[in-house]
Amino acid sequence: MTDELHGTGPSEDEIRKMTPEEAMIAGAAVDGVRIVHRRDRFPIRGTKAEKRAERGVALAFIISALAGLGFIVAFIAVPFEWHVPGTAQNFRFYTPALGGLMAIMLVFLGIGMVLWAKWLMPEEESIQDRHDVPSTEEDKLLTEAALVVGLQDTGLPRRGLLMRSLLLAGGAMATVPLVALVGGMIKKPGDQLFHTLFKPNPDLFPDSNGRVPIVYSDWRRVSPDDMEPGGLATVFPGVRQTVNGQDGVTDASSPTLLIRLKPGQKVKPRKGQATWGWPAHNPEYIAFSKICTHAGCPASLYEQQTGRLLCPCHQSQFQVLEDAKPVFGPATRSLPKLPITVETGADGRQYFVALSDYKEPIGPGFWERP
Amino acid sequence: MTSTQTRRSDAPRTPQGKAGKFLDDRLMLAGPMRKQLHKVFPDHWSFMMGEIALYSFIVLLLTGTYLTFFFDPSMAETVYHGRYVPMQGVPMSKAYESTLNISFDVRGGLVIRQIHHWSALLFLAAMLIHMFRVFFTGAFRKPRELNWLIGLSLIALGIIEGFAGYSLPDDLLSGTGLRIADAIMLSIPVIGTWVSFLIFGGAFPGDVIIGRFYIAHVLLIPAILAALIGAHLALVVRQKHTQFPGHGRTEGTVSGERVFPLYAAKAGGFFFIVFGVCAALGGLAQINPVWLFGPYQPAAVSSGSQPDWYMMFLDGSTRLFPSWEIRLWHHTVPPLFWPTVVLPGIMFTLAGAYPFIEAKMTKDTAKHHLLQRPRDVPVRTALGAMAITFYIVLFLSGGNDIIAKAFDISLNAMTWGGRIALLTLPPIGYVVAYRICLGLQRHDREVLEHGVETGIVRMLPTGEYIEVHQPLGPVDEHGHGKLSYSGIAVPKRMNQLGAASPLKHIRGFLYPVKEKPEIQAALDELEQAEREESVGTSDSPRQLTD
Amino acid sequence: MDDDIDVETELGFEPAVSVTGAAERDDGAPKAKRTKRGRGGLRRRLGATAVLIGALASMGGAYAAFATTSGANDTGTGAEDIAAGRQLFQVSCITCHGSNLQGVKGQGPSLIGVGSAAVYFQVSTGRMPAARQGASEDRKVAKFNEQQTNQLAAYVESVGGGPTVPQGNLKGDNNSVALGGQIFRLNCASCHGTTFKGAPLSAGKVAPSLNQATDKQIYTALLSGPESMPVFSDNQITPDEKRAIIAYIQTLKASKDPGGNGIDRIGPVSEAIVIWVGGVGAVMIAILWIGVKER
Repeated sequence: MTDELHGTGPSEDEIRKMTPEEAMIAGAAVDGVRIVHRRDRFPIRGTKAEKRAERGVALAFIISALAGLGFIVAFIAVPFEWHVPGTAQNFRFYTPALGGLMAIMLVFLGIGMVLWAKWLMPEEESIQDRHDVPSTEEDKLLTEAALVVGLQDTGLPRRGLLMRSLLLAGGAMATVPLVALVGGMIKKPGDQLFHTLFKPNPDLFPDSNGRVPIVYSDWRRVSPDDMEPGGLATVFPGVRQTVNGQDGVTDASSPTLLIRLKPGQKVKPRKGQATWGWPAHNPEYIAFSKICTHAGCPASLYEQQTGRLLCPCHQSQFQVLEDAKPVFGPATRSLPKLPITVETGADGRQYFVALSDYKEPIGPGFWERP
Repeated sequence: MTSTQTRRSDAPRTPQGKAGKFLDDRLMLAGPMRKQLHKVFPDHWSFMMGEIALYSFIVLLLTGTYLTFFFDPSMAETVYHGRYVPMQGVPMSKAYESTLNISFDVRGGLVIRQIHHWSALLFLAAMLIHMFRVFFTGAFRKPRELNWLIGLSLIALGIIEGFAGYSLPDDLLSGTGLRIADAIMLSIPVIGTWVSFLIFGGAFPGDVIIGRFYIAHVLLIPAILAALIGAHLALVVRQKHTQFPGHGRTEGTVSGERVFPLYAAKAGGFFFIVFGVCAALGGLAQINPVWLFGPYQPAAVSSGSQPDWYMMFLDGSTRLFPSWEIRLWHHTVPPLFWPTVVLPGIMFTLAGAYPFIEAKMTKDTAKHHLLQRPRDVPVRTALGAMAITFYIVLFLSGGNDIIAKAFDISLNAMTWGGRIALLTLPPIGYVVAYRICLGLQRHDREVLEHGVETGIVRMLPTGEYIEVHQPLGPVDEHGHGKLSYSGIAVPKRMNQLGAASPLKHIRGFLYPVKEKPEIQAALDELEQAEREESVGTSDSPRQLTD
Repeated sequence: MDDDIDVETELGFEPAVSVTGAAERDDGAPKAKRTKRGRGGLRRRLGATAVLIGALASMGGAYAAFATTSGANDTGTGAEDIAAGRQLFQVSCITCHGSNLQGVKGQGPSLIGVGSAAVYFQVSTGRMPAARQGASEDRKVAKFNEQQTNQLAAYVESVGGGPTVPQGNLKGDNNSVALGGQIFRLNCASCHGTTFKGAPLSAGKVAPSLNQATDKQIYTALLSGPESMPVFSDNQITPDEKRAIIAYIQTLKASKDPGGNGIDRIGPVSEAIVIWVGGVGAVMIAILWIGVKER
C-alpha cells in the first residue's frame, strides 16, 4: 500500500547503510512526511548553554519530585480533623496543602516536559501529505459490485416475504429490550399529583371527621396562639406513617405556609376561597402550598409588610393578600390555598386542622392538569 | 514484506531489539506504528483547546474512580454521627452522609472531591471554547461535519453527566435542582407525567433517583462519552488536523511537528499542567461545600440557589421567560416547557445543522482543510457573535439574583433588563462583529498595498507630512504592493514578519528575545541556506502522490 | 416563672423528631394526645438558665417592672434610662415617628407596641435613624452606643409595650448547633441563604446578609420582624430554638473553610467566575506558552 502511494522506499540494503537519522528521514518520507527543517538546538555538545538548559529542565523535575514528597509528608503529618470554632482551626490548611503540593508536582512535571521539548530536543518543521484523495472510481465500482452481488446472494430484494419477516424480527429485537427496561421502570401516575397528605383520613383521625392536624416540623401541633401578626410558619400534615414511606414532614407535596396577617391587612380572596382561612368570616390566618406553581421550589421569601411572596429559584412573585396570585415572573397560577379551621384539642387549647385537602394540584403544571 | 524468513544476521542482539522482535512477530507493528510516530501535528496554540477537554476528562475518570470507593448512592435515611459537629444528630440520606464522610472523615477525600468537581467545570468550559474555535475558523466544514455533530453530542452529554454528578450528594442545593428537573419533565405535553414517574420511580423524590443517577453518572454516560471521544479523535487522525494557510500548509499538506518525540513531550507535559491546574483549584478554592447547605428536605430552600455554570443558561431562560401558559380541553402546557425543553432543543438543533445550512447557503461543496480567519467570513463570525451574546445574556440571568444583591439592583429590574437584553443585544452583537470584521479586512488590504507603518514621519519638500511605510513585498511603479491577500495573517508591525514563515520565528513568550549579534548572524546564514533548499524541493510530495 | 415554662412544656412542646431519630415517629396518632412526652435529649441538655432566659423574653413588660426595682444597671429599663431615652428620641426620632410614637404619615411608622426588641435591632444595626427612605434600610455604623440604644429601647417600650430585648447568653452551646441548623434551613435560609449571604426580595427590597449580625441582633430580629421579615414568636420558635439558631449561625460564620478559600461561600456563581477566570485563564496561558515557537 505505502509503496503505491509514495513510490518505492529504500531497499533493505540501502537502509542498513544509512545512519539512524538518515533512516528515520527516509522512513518519514515513506509515510508521506517531509522533514523540511531539523536542527539540533545545541550543535556543539557540552556547551555552557546546553548544560544550563539541561539543568533548567532537571530543576523542574526535581521540584516536582520534592513536591510529591511534600504531599506524602503533608498527607500524614498535617492535622485534618474538623473542630468547632474556638478550638484549633488548623484543619483548614490540610486541603490547600495537599492540593497545592499536588499541583506543584503535576505542573512542574508538565513544565519540565515542555521545556525539555522546547530547549533540548531538535527543533523541526515537518510537512505531511494529507492523502485526502477520494476513493478511485475503480475502488468505488468494485466495492459497489461486492455490495450489490452480496445483497443479491441473500435473495432479500426478490424474496419479499423473507424481507418483511426479517424486518418484523428486527423490530421485535429492538423493541424487547426497550419494553423490558421502560416497562420495568414505568409507574402509573394515577391521581398522586392531585392529592397531598392533607386529604382527610378518618382511619387515622376518627375523632375529628378525619381532618388532618397541622403540625410544625417537630410534630408540635400549630395553635393560633403561637404566631404573632406578621408571622410565617412552615407547617405540615400531622400524618406519621403513609403508604409510600414518607411522613407528613418529609413528603414533598405537603409543605404549607401558614401566615398570620398583620392588623389592617385584608385578603381579596379568589372565587370560592373566601372562607378558607381562620376565622372563616374575617380571616387572620391563611395557608398556601409552599411548593411554587412554576418549577416546584419552596416559594417562601415572604415580605410581611407588603404581603409579597417570592420564589428564590426563578423569582416568581405572588401576592398573598390576593390569595397568592402571581404578580411577577414566570409563574402562571396562584399558589393553592389550604382550607383551614381550628379544633379544640384534648388539652383545651385550639389547634389548626385542614378542613380538606387542597382543591387543586399543588406544584408545577403538567399535562393532565385542567 | 514478501518473506517471513528471517536471515540469521538480522537476529536482534540488544534487549530492546529482542523485545521489539517479540512484539512485531505477534502484532505486526512495525509499519503501522512508524506511521503514527511520524504523524505530523500542527502547533498553533488554538488547536490545544480540545486537549484541555480530553485531559480534564481523564482527570475526571481518575478522581471519580477514587470517589466511588467511598460514596454510597443510597437514599436510605440515617442519622449523622461523623466529625462535622453542625450536622451531628441530623437525619439525612446515606448519599449525603457519605459525601460528608468523604469531606471530613476520609484523609484527603475533600481535595479529591474538589478536584473532581473543578475538573468537571473545566471539562465543559474547554469543550465550549473548543467549539467556538472550530466554529469561528470554519473547521466544521466538509469533510468534518460528522465530527462537529459528535462534538455537539459530547457537550450535550457532558451537561447531563455534570448535572447527574451534581445531584448525587443529595444536598439542599442539588435537591432543589432535582426538583426543578422534575418540574421540567412534568412540563412536557402528553407524556410529561409518565416521564417524571418513570425516571423518579414514582412521585418526586421517591427513593431510587440517586441510585439511578449514580449508575448513569459512573457507567452509562462516561462509557458513551469515552466512545464518542474515541470516535472524535479517530476522525481527527483519519482526516488530519485543519490548519491556517501558510508556508507548507496547503489543502494537501499539514505542517508541524511529528508525534515522536516533540509533540508527545509537549502534549504529555500539557496533560500534567491541566491536571495540575485542577489540583490547584481543588486545593485552594472550595467548591460545592455541601456541609454548609445541609441535607435535602422538600420543604426547605436557600436563596441564591444556582446550578453549576453549564446549566445556568437554562436557569436564566427560565427566569426570563414570560408567564405564558396554554390551557386547552382540560390540559395544560406549563410555561416551563418553552425555556427548558424547546429552547435548548432549538439551540442544539441549530448548532448541529449549521454546517449543512452554511454549505447550502454558500453552495460550497468542496472539501476544506485550511482554516479561515474569522474576519474573512464576516457573516459567520457575526452569527457566532450573535449566538454567544444570546447565550451570555441567558447565562448572566441565571445568576441575576446574585448580581442584584451584589450591585444593589432591583430584582424585578434585573428580570426586565434580561428580557430586553435577550431581544436587543444579539442583533447588536451581529452588527458590531460584522463591522469589526470588515474593518480588519480593510486594514489587511491597506497594509498589503502600502506596507507596514514604521512610525517614521517625514516632511516632504511640499511641506506635507507623511508616515513612511515599509512594503511587505515587491511594489509596482506607484509604490503599491503587488501581494494579494491569501487568508494568512498580515504583519501589522515591524518585527512581526515571522508570522508569515514557519522557518523564521520570533523567540520568547512575552517579548522577543534578542540573540547576540554573532549568533544571530550564524542563524540567519543557516536559515538562508535552508530556505533555498526547501524552495528547491517544495513540489516533491505532491508529485509523489499524483 | 419556672412554673410557667413547665406548663408550656407539658402542653405544647414535642420532642424534636429530627434530632431524636425515627423511633419517635412510630405512631400515627394526633399530636394532642402526646402531651406528656418531654423534649429530646439534645434539648434536655440545655441548662436551666436557658429556660429562665426564655421565660424572661416571653414575659415582656412584667420583667420590665421587676427590673426597675433591682436598680438601673445595664438592662436599660430604669426610670432614668427611660427619661434619657426620651431625650434621645426627641432629638433623633421624633421627626419621622411623631411626638407620641404614633408615626408620621409618609415619614415613619408608629412605634406603639413594637417593643424594645425592635428598637434595639433597628438602632444597634445603624438602620435607624434612617439616612434616606428606600425600599430597604441598609446596615450602617450605629449612631448610638449600646447604653443609648438601650435607653431608647426602654423609652419606646415604656410607652407602647411589645417584645423586649432578651438578656443573658443568647447563643446555645455546641450541642444545639445541629438543631439550630435544621430550624435555620427550614425558616431562615429561604431569604438569608444557607451561607447567610442574604438575597434580593421583590422590587429592590433585600434580606440582609447575616455576616455582621450579633447574637442579640438576630434574637431581636426574630422577635420583632423588622421590615419585610416575618415575626417568629416564642411559641412558634421557642427561646431554646432561637438560641440554637444563633449558635448555628455564629458557629458557621466563625468556622474556617476546610476546602481552601471559601470564595465568599456564594456557591455556583463564584465558582463559575473562578473556573472561567482562574481555571480557563491558567490553561489558556499554558497553551499560549506551549504553542509559541522557540527557536
